[in-house]
Amino acid sequence: MLAGDIGSTVEHTMTAITSSTALWYASRATGVVSLLLLSLVVLLGILVNRQGRLPGLPSFAVTGLHRSLSLLSVLFIAVHVATAVIDPFVSIGLAAVVIPFVSAYQPFWLGLGAVALDLIIALVLTSLARAHISRRVWRGIHWLAYAAWPVALVHGLGVSRDLRSGGLWLLTIGCVLAVGAAGLWRLAGAAREVPRAERAAAALASIRRHARPTRQDGPGGPGQRAPAGSGTMGHRVRVGDGGAR
Amino acid sequence: MTHNATLPPPGPDRQADQYAPALMTNRWRDSHPGVPPRLLPADSRAGVDLQPHMERFGPPPYRGAPGRLIGEVEAAGLTGRGGAAFPTYRKLAAMAAGRGPAPMVVGNGAEGEPASNKDKTLLWFSPHLVLDGLQLAAEAVGSVTVGLYVHRNLRLYERLGVAIAQRAAAGLDAARVELIEAPLRFLAGEESALASKASGGPALPRFKPPRASQRGVAGLRTLVQNVETLAHLALIARHGAAWFRSVGTQDEPGSMLATLHQADGPTGVVETTLGTPIADLLRLPARAVLVGGYHGAWLPAEQARRLPLANAALRPLGAAVGAGVLAALPGDRCGLAETARVARYLALESAGQCGPCFNGLPRMAGALEALAGPRPDPRARADLERWSELVGGRGACHHPDGTVRFVRSALRVFADEMDHHARGSCTGTSGRPFLPLPQETPLDNTDWR
Repeated sequence: MLAGDIGSTVEHTMTAITSSTALWYASRATGVVSLLLLSLVVLLGILVNRQGRLPGLPSFAVTGLHRSLSLLSVLFIAVHVATAVIDPFVSIGLAAVVIPFVSAYQPFWLGLGAVALDLIIALVLTSLARAHISRRVWRGIHWLAYAAWPVALVHGLGVSRDLRSGGLWLLTIGCVLAVGAAGLWRLAGAAREVPRAERAAAALASIRRHARPTRQDGPGGPGQRAPAGSGTMGHRVRVGDGGAR
Repeated sequence: MTHNATLPPPGPDRQADQYAPALMTNRWRDSHPGVPPRLLPADSRAGVDLQPHMERFGPPPYRGAPGRLIGEVEAAGLTGRGGAAFPTYRKLAAMAAGRGPAPMVVGNGAEGEPASNKDKTLLWFSPHLVLDGLQLAAEAVGSVTVGLYVHRNLRLYERLGVAIAQRAAAGLDAARVELIEAPLRFLAGEESALASKASGGPALPRFKPPRASQRGVAGLRTLVQNVETLAHLALIARHGAAWFRSVGTQDEPGSMLATLHQADGPTGVVETTLGTPIADLLRLPARAVLVGGYHGAWLPAEQARRLPLANAALRPLGAAVGAGVLAALPGDRCGLAETARVARYLALESAGQCGPCFNGLPRMAGALEALAGPRPDPRARADLERWSELVGGRGACHHPDGTVRFVRSALRVFADEMDHHARGSCTGTSGRPFLPLPQETPLDNTDWR
């Protein structure tokens, strides 16, 4: 349905596209794709933070996907910004790309776009240089992702009517719901986080709980199941008390 | 935070290290007849008084300006005795050449390794040698702020307090030494954990960069040297590089302290020389030999018998001298059970900061626990190998890497024992724990303070 809507929009306007409006449409289209990509990047970022998994992917692949999609979205944002500036239909000016609220055209809504762009540039640069800067600095700046996404969204909602009707409105609501839900999940997860010092002990305890019982040879025989309460991997030896028979 | 030497030692409510060395085995005398041991006093009843130290060694030979001692240390070939064996002169030279405010120097006496006693023993018997080295290192790098990082231990703190006070009275020290209390955790002596603790935070390892040498205690560039390294430095400053090199090997000169755990019982700290045959230090035969402590490696006793205590010989076998721990596993103990006990301890000592460490090490410990019992799940061994691959190299510090090295060496050396366990039997006949572990206490976040 969504694709159909975008398709019909393109169809209706096709006749009106000239060399100058091509840039205008390119800018709007890449803006919409950027919103979608940034939402996915935020979702994946939260998943990485909570050490979650995607079906069929090891956890490092989730991190890799988060990184790849964020670089891809940078590409779309670059085209989005470049086409908007080059397009002669409105005058935005180079400075307004990074300096908020100085554009001649829609200074407030474009200003929000500049704020989001600045935040995203900071995020990308610090992540590319992550091996060379302190983890604390990187982490502090990465918190800005939670500010960049809503600012970018409000920029999109305010600067044009595209997102406020039809299929794109549904897309926007979908993005807001998904990111909002993920944000709440992250907060809830942080709230019931196991204190640092107890993590290894908690992991050890859960491994023992889920331990696979071994074959039972029968009462008294070798390989006899460990007595209940000895906390066991299915044998009589408790590591804590120091060893084998 | 930091403790002035005159402040009261840690209160009785806090878990405190009770270690008080009463006995030294002195093999130095057997192997070097007529030559006194270098670091430890000839008489183990020696007190902390400054006077005998001054009679034996004289005052610390200050050089009068930063940088002058560094060439001598380079010529001596002194390496760090905390375990990494990094050339000491390179740390000193980098620190002396650095720009910005004067750096800080901290002597690291926090040996979290339960099988090692050599730093405690050195601080107990020869505090003035360590304090001399601390002052000389501070002068060499142009530092005026000096700390000594030691596990909380009431009696040791009292002794160090007396030693520091006597030196102050004699006007021996250029910089005042702050005692910094290290919590009793395995990782507390890690360099970035030290820097964090001395800055008023928890003693937790941090991601690098920045290293302590770039931004350490309170943001200052910080030189961290093991206390034994400092004691050697104090002797090199007095007797010169040639004297230092007169024992040891060409590549690994000098003497070192080692903690020996004999198969037939006694444990002791000895001063030995690098390159000494392991068979001269440990009473063999034994079932296997642990070299380098709980981040070290097991070696088959037959192999260890032919090796010297030197990195040149041990590194190709996946082992290292480390902080000088040698343990001969008695013939009646099960190597897998011993390894499982230690692996469990190491897993619980995870700082809980890095996922691969606080998830991976407990899993590995659980699998080892299974392998130490009869008829383990046949998949446990393959699981352990796979997890070893996943855990290594992915932490803020080397705790996962060291633990993996230790566990993997056990899988190699005790492969036969694993086959026995698979059939439901075990060649160990005694269940008494052999390798030392601290008493288990419930953990919480205040432990790191």
